[in-house]
Amino acid sequence: METLGLLLDGFQVALQPLNLLLAFAGVLIGTIVGMLPGIGPINGIAVLIPVTFALNLPAASALILFSGIYYGAQYGNSISTILINVPGTPASVVTGIDGYAMTKQGRAGPALAMSAVASFFGGTVSVIALMLFAPLLAQWAIRFGPAEYFALMVFALTMLSSLTSSSFAKALISTVFGLMLSTVGYDRISAVPRYTFGNIRLLDGMDFVVVTIGFFAISEIIEILEKYVKNQDVDTHVGRVLITVQEFTSSLWTMIRGAVIGFFVGVLPGAGSTIATFVTYATEKRFFDAKGELGTGAIRGVASPEAANNAAANGAFIPLLTLGVPGSGTTAIILGALLGLNITPGPLFIQNQPEVFWGLIASMYIGNIMLLVLNLPLVGMFVRILQVPQWFLLPAVAGISFIAVYAVNNSVFDLILMTIFGVIGYAMRKTGFPLAPVILGLVLGPLMESNLRRALNLSQGDWRYLVSSPLSIAIWVLVVVSLLLPFVMVRIQKRVTSVKDEPAES
Amino acid sequence: MSLQQDRIVGVLLLAFSIWYGITTRAYTVGFVDDPIGPKAFPIMLAILMGLVSIYLIVQPELGQLPSLAATTWLRMLATLGCFLLYALTLNWLGFVLATALVVTLLTQIFEGPLLRSVVASLVFSLVMYGLFAGLLELSLPTGQLIQQMLGRT
Repeated sequence: METLGLLLDGFQVALQPLNLLLAFAGVLIGTIVGMLPGIGPINGIAVLIPVTFALNLPAASALILFSGIYYGAQYGNSISTILINVPGTPASVVTGIDGYAMTKQGRAGPALAMSAVASFFGGTVSVIALMLFAPLLAQWAIRFGPAEYFALMVFALTMLSSLTSSSFAKALISTVFGLMLSTVGYDRISAVPRYTFGNIRLLDGMDFVVVTIGFFAISEIIEILEKYVKNQDVDTHVGRVLITVQEFTSSLWTMIRGAVIGFFVGVLPGAGSTIATFVTYATEKRFFDAKGELGTGAIRGVASPEAANNAAANGAFIPLLTLGVPGSGTTAIILGALLGLNITPGPLFIQNQPEVFWGLIASMYIGNIMLLVLNLPLVGMFVRILQVPQWFLLPAVAGISFIAVYAVNNSVFDLILMTIFGVIGYAMRKTGFPLAPVILGLVLGPLMESNLRRALNLSQGDWRYLVSSPLSIAIWVLVVVSLLLPFVMVRIQKRVTSVKDEPAES
Repeated sequence: MSLQQDRIVGVLLLAFSIWYGITTRAYTVGFVDDPIGPKAFPIMLAILMGLVSIYLIVQPELGQLPSLAATTWLRMLATLGCFLLYALTLNWLGFVLATALVVTLLTQIFEGPLLRSVVASLVFSLVMYGLFAGLLELSLPTGQLIQQMLGRT
């Protein structure tokens, strides 16, 4: 009952005209960046961070916008996957197995419709779960001290390193590189400048917006040049975007399984929506596919990953909002933005800022309904965006990236940094180093270091303090478990098969 | 070919982590409340990266850089050149002109038809200026050149 009252308060926040507009803008931008190959929600959010600062948006409004982009992208990402077999984001790679097969059989319409319905189903179920579980976890997390937080952040980083790439060693190096970038600039405790080489522009540190856009947008543009083909015709004839009642009911249990598994995978730090689709599809194939339909263009093969990636995206808000520890590149960006708005998510966040949390939850219900409308009757409109010629689309992406990077500090120097990070990002892509851990490391670095130093300050320099409470010991055990996970993941990925690229962004 | 690549990367990373670790020597403060100081965390990172890069040297994975045509490399360099050109000209030409110019150059790298590219880039630049500087209140540079011209008339 208490939840219901709080939710109603949340709707009062979410239904304010500005917030409704931002929710709509968020899900619209999310659908578009999710759909366009090479641009993901991470870029969409990074580009808008300077805007939210310039407009002085209240925290609730900014969070409604950013989360809209994140879960909106989970709807949009299947559009290009289904139509042209080019995943909009890695989280829809699995959807392509059956989705593109359906398109080749002339059933693109039902595939798109199923994707929208399953996304809505997964999205809505997981908002309910988020609403019920987040306050509980927050209450439990109140007892976390700096030692526990330090361990928890190590856990988030090792989880992401374990799960994000085929090479654990390389993912670990990416993570440490991100942490190293975070040490550039004034030390927040002693005010000693570190790794600035006397350059005053580096004193404030590496801005994560500049780094993210360099790593994700700029390096992507350079990489696309490798196999750039000028003319790429997209068949935008999708037919009627509808599913029958029978198709819906036959996929219902698949969607429920997708939403539940997806949500819990999403809650785990490091796992995120891409991994959720792998795990869900593998489960579906292993235990619920006696006839061997999956992989041949079965509509269930679309329902399963699409319910899962939406549920996972919402699940990922749990560690972000209740612990202040994001588990993926995208949620790391959202954390960075919230810190910039002077909001520190953590166990007290829901209690102290109920209007932000409940406003967000209410906006997610509304946003999912908006997305259902955008992705069912209006999907034909979005498909036309895929027809925008690449020769214009990519330069335009570069142009928008410039605006955001310049706007961070009104500095041309940041544009040069962006280019340098673009080159580093390209080199990392080519040598098999995943990029998302760099962003997570960069955002978590300062929090990790300050918690470590606070803990050692409490113990007057005794390092054993880090493992002195049962809770922190438990988390360190989880860290060890997470280090063993790559071996499990390799087996799951083998089961899904025919899936090519590593999930770089989730 | 293939195993060497990771070894080279490993050696470079090892060198980087040693340099990163050594650099911390300068970071000292006599701070009573802060037993480990600004050094400890970077040193931990340097050791961790050093160890993993040694692992990479000993246990390299298969990998191969793509072999690209010379023209592709040239295009990549030209793209980077465009980014730097933007950084160099933005304050002088102003947002609208610099963006129109650099986006046009980029469309040419991506083989867009010339006339349509110029028009599309100019329209893009104006729309973005209206959207971000007008509606969304970001401050984008007008440009010294434009200001001088406006000042004279």
